[in-house]
Amino acid sequence: MKNWKKLRKNKELLKPFLVREKVVDAIREYFKKEGFHEVDTPLLVQSPGTEPYLEVFESELVTPGFKNKKSYLLTSPELSMKKLLSSGMGSIFTICKSFRNAEGLSSFHNPEFSILEWYHVDADYTDVMNDCENLFLYILNKLELNKDENNKLEYQGVVYDLSTPWERISVSEAFLKYANIKQDEMLDRIKLLEIAKQKGYQVSDQTTWEEAYNQILLNEIEPHLGKDKPTILYDYPASQAALSKKKKADPRFAERFEFFIGGIELGNAFSELTDADEQETRMVEDLKYRKELGKVEYKIDNDFIEALRFGMPKTGGIAVGVDRLVMLFSNSASIKDTLLFPIEDVFDY
Amino acid sequence: MTIKAGTIRKGMYILFKDIPHFITKTDFMSPGKGSAFMRVKMKNIQTGNTQEFTYKSTESIEQVEVESQKMQFLYKDGENAVFMNPQTYEQAEVSLKLIGERAALLTPEVEIYVMLFEDKPVDVNFPPNLSLKVEYAEEAVAGNTMGTARKMVKLESGFEVAAPIFVKEGDYLVIDTETMTYKSRDNK
Repeated sequence: MKNWKKLRKNKELLKPFLVREKVVDAIREYFKKEGFHEVDTPLLVQSPGTEPYLEVFESELVTPGFKNKKSYLLTSPELSMKKLLSSGMGSIFTICKSFRNAEGLSSFHNPEFSILEWYHVDADYTDVMNDCENLFLYILNKLELNKDENNKLEYQGVVYDLSTPWERISVSEAFLKYANIKQDEMLDRIKLLEIAKQKGYQVSDQTTWEEAYNQILLNEIEPHLGKDKPTILYDYPASQAALSKKKKADPRFAERFEFFIGGIELGNAFSELTDADEQETRMVEDLKYRKELGKVEYKIDNDFIEALRFGMPKTGGIAVGVDRLVMLFSNSASIKDTLLFPIEDVFDY
Repeated sequence: MTIKAGTIRKGMYILFKDIPHFITKTDFMSPGKGSAFMRVKMKNIQTGNTQEFTYKSTESIEQVEVESQKMQFLYKDGENAVFMNPQTYEQAEVSLKLIGERAALLTPEVEIYVMLFEDKPVDVNFPPNLSLKVEYAEEAVAGNTMGTARKMVKLESGFEVAAPIFVKEGDYLVIDTETMTYKSRDNK
């Protein structure tokens, strides 16, 4: 049954949607209080992000008197946001729709979803970690879920402590602690595949380092993250961080983090890459890889590279799934309970 | 039959560590460059225990064919429920742990589907609704027969369920077997 019909029958089901409204209000209030500007970015673009694993929705822009142009719904507002950083606007945030095709149906995915991105200038990923902690406490208080002032949030029968600081663990530490894999073993394809085989995973000649790394991360590490309090997992292998700065002290790793509550991944952050040449090289490689994978092909966003050449300030940035945030604060098991029009209500399945 | 993990769907049976498992939930994931994963929640059909595993979507896995037979419930015997195929009179014992809380809805001659793997019963499928007779219900208090007031009534199977105040002993109630709750009165 579609949501609008369910809501007619049972007013109780309206609750998560009312929580959404309050969460979005709280996010806006928080960032404005912190001196961020809210910006509007285009959803229809000529050159979306180049992440090889994301599939886009294609369309065509028709303008009388001009040649028709291939156009795409964006997968994240990141490139436009960074152009604004180069314009010198200072710290900025946006809450907008993003679109990802071919991701399949799940409790955590909808092809059209709301994304919150913020970019904190003169800052790096550790400042963004602090932003996350403070934002979550701000939302908790705004929703009047913190009447006991103990910073506790109940989600699906488990109580999480949102007090600062959250648990912080690096990818290398997590591989050692939860999967008993040492850093040099984790980074080496032959060693990692051998270990994966011993652990009982399916390994063939075609298995890539990235597949083995992610399968171990998903099966043996993520289930431990965000158990009693949120966990920040940081310093990813450099190949797993397309738009982030490499660590000066150890360039095998990049300044990227994700954070988790109850096994749900809520956001992905970087110390943003500001080097135009390196960014261009990585994007060209990504587009080549997209072609190999048979994904939709498009041109690199040269305007973005030019913006980096003019100079983007040192920035920490992050993307957070707003729908997942609403799931968490409304204690909903599925993203469908937080969307008035989940994809199944819009298309015939 | 060998299938790709990316095509696993809820309701399938697959072999995991050589033991048949029933898929209760699937979540698609794409955490990295180029590769996709399928996180599945599954129930071990021998022990009833559930667990999660994340497959590479390109991995090959064995889907198992499970035969479904319509059978009649006879009686409970210790840790098992005994069923009979009304055509062949063959009997099958199914562990009550596997049936779970819905075992409380079983009454003699109720027909459900028993799932068999290599001739061994591994699971049961209930029809979405079952009609059960009310064995005990308190008298309705006069003047309180309207509105949303509820009372607990005991069904013939021994299961107690919240039902509207107007329900009487001897009534038949339609029970939603998924949520184990009262749906309506059965006017049969």
